[in-house]
Amino acid sequence: MKTKKTFIAKLNIFILTVLLILSLIPLALTVITSIVPEGDLFNITKEVELSDFELPPFFLTKKIFPIESEKFDTVDGDNNSGKVLQLDTKDCVTGIMVNIGDVDLNKIKEFTFSLNTSQKIKTFYLGFKDVQGMQEFLPAELTYVSGKWNNAIVHVNADKYVVVDKEHLNFVGLKFEFENNEKILIDNVTLRYKFPTLWNYKNVLQQNDFARYMLNSAIVSACHVFGNLIFCSMAAYVFARKKFRGKEVLFAIVLSSMMIPLQVKIIPIFKLMQFLGWIDTLYALIAPGVVTSFGIFFMRQYIEQIPFELDQSAYVDGANDFKIFTKIIMPLSTPALAVLAINTFVASWNDLYMPLILTSSNNTRTVQVGLATFNRMHQVAWPELMAASSVAGIPIIIIFLIFQKKIISGMVEGAVKY
Amino acid sequence: MKPKTKKRVTVLIFLLPWIITFFVFELYPLLYSLFVSFTKYSGLNPQTTFIGLENYARAFQDEVFIKSVLNTLIFVAGTLPFTIAIAILIAILLNHLNLKFNGLFKAGFFLPSMISMVVISMIWIYMYSGTGFFNTVLHFFGFAVEERSWLANQNTALGSIMIMDVWASFGYYMILIYAGLQNIPYSVYEAARIDGAKPIQIAFKITIPMIRPTLFFVIALNTIRSFQIFTEVFTMTNGGPRNSTETIVHYLYRVSFRNYEMGYGSAIAYILLAIIMTITLIQKRALRSDYL
Repeated sequence: MKTKKTFIAKLNIFILTVLLILSLIPLALTVITSIVPEGDLFNITKEVELSDFELPPFFLTKKIFPIESEKFDTVDGDNNSGKVLQLDTKDCVTGIMVNIGDVDLNKIKEFTFSLNTSQKIKTFYLGFKDVQGMQEFLPAELTYVSGKWNNAIVHVNADKYVVVDKEHLNFVGLKFEFENNEKILIDNVTLRYKFPTLWNYKNVLQQNDFARYMLNSAIVSACHVFGNLIFCSMAAYVFARKKFRGKEVLFAIVLSSMMIPLQVKIIPIFKLMQFLGWIDTLYALIAPGVVTSFGIFFMRQYIEQIPFELDQSAYVDGANDFKIFTKIIMPLSTPALAVLAINTFVASWNDLYMPLILTSSNNTRTVQVGLATFNRMHQVAWPELMAASSVAGIPIIIIFLIFQKKIISGMVEGAVKY
Repeated sequence: MKPKTKKRVTVLIFLLPWIITFFVFELYPLLYSLFVSFTKYSGLNPQTTFIGLENYARAFQDEVFIKSVLNTLIFVAGTLPFTIAIAILIAILLNHLNLKFNGLFKAGFFLPSMISMVVISMIWIYMYSGTGFFNTVLHFFGFAVEERSWLANQNTALGSIMIMDVWASFGYYMILIYAGLQNIPYSVYEAARIDGAKPIQIAFKITIPMIRPTLFFVIALNTIRSFQIFTEVFTMTNGGPRNSTETIVHYLYRVSFRNYEMGYGSAIAYILLAIIMTITLIQKRALRSDYL
């Protein structure tokens, strides 16, 4: 009997673990993809072979330009890899520009290529040309042993380049300075990306205004949290402690206004904000959410549990309602206030509908709107999209991990009593 | 000041913030949008013409609107059973497990329902893409896969959003059901076990009936939420392809804030309100009858 019980318990844990792993796959995929330089998770582009010079010359001329000499030749190489590029030297200088599409310099780790030259390289220059046509060549250290077919590696130091637009590079240039004029052979020019990289996060925060969106979301959420803590408790105090005519009706209104979907009210709210000139300002987002029916309902539940004798003895001692509220009710409600604060923050941070309708410019967008519209512009840049998603999701995940017990208990209480 | 007046003033002051917000952002919008729903009103042009019930009549002849109602119904009917079934299953498994991992599992399953729907939609757009997770896995097991996103195919788009939604919301309901299960006293199980009840009998004769109020609540909540599905559609498909994922709230958004037909939009909003109210009332009644 006992073995059967432990077996069931083990099976139970096993099933739960499998389900949990399955359920967390999407989140894991997101985080992993956000540190991929290019491509996507199942197709991480760590290396791109820019050219192996096997294309017919006509097509090759679209992708490769020689430096300091008008033309180039492809010849049959002796390194068992088909055709190789032969470059003439002019005034002891030679080199090529190779098309790399549209690449962010910060994501590049290094370039490699095979080189065959009998003479010593005096200086090697690594250069880039951006989409606007700006060029910049700087001396770079080349790990290379002179002789026949050696693999040369050149590390990229992105900080040194200042003239070119680093985010959108079109061509990479390899330039050699020799002692004498002599032909050299090059093959297999390859680009290697940094992996893992945090550059997607930096790009998202800087280039795409996500830092601004985050700030907007933080401001709006903070205002909602403070508004709810103060104003909801105030109303809840009255509903929990005072007897006045129409109280039941008013509280019924509080409850029923929780049921009305926002969509029914949004058009007049939009018109009202237009009338106030608040469209596309943070006021428009803050104002409708500073007092919520849920907050009043939730706080009333808690305040009712606080012993009434405390109020009465304070009243006898001469305290008025404001004193009782600020000195007794509020301090004693701290657990409920914490739950309300967290819930309000999460709801406000995650809201899309209101900010989507009431804001239109980058300066007022919240992070949810920013992310929802980001998608439209960058349909295929998965790593950046996942980095942006992580940025929008991480604050909530952190808050959840810290306060999970409060969040879960608050949610259960709010829901079950209701 | 008389004490009574003083008390009234205090009450008023304490309620004032809520009263102002209630009038400005609840009552006025509710009534004004009812008025707007009987007019032809563009939002851009301040002129309003009273046209009676024409907006409502138009909705029932609007093919896209009818399609959006059908899609919403499919969405609700297709997600609700799965969400609730998975939530019950995990809640029961967790309830039988009394270990220190309990909190870990609870948090792990609940985590997705904390994250915003926009983020979740982005993640699933990526997973549904042509070279995404699902296609890669299917391809690995030898299935022929299309090279395009599941969301770009009008036969799979709505289903894809539904699968995502089940994943995104079951954790929330699981926590509620788990709380319900925890309220069942252990002695009830003990008594049943002494009487020789089998685990299946315990599940159907004790557990389910005792959490019935919670279940009703969870179903009601899920139905109301599902009827208002918007974010998923807005971020993932924008209602397409060929209106195959158009839902009531998304269509309302399109009509009001893309085409600026705010009169018609308000009428749709009121139809939505009527649908939600009807369902809530039906469910409330079911809930109440269970208590009595």
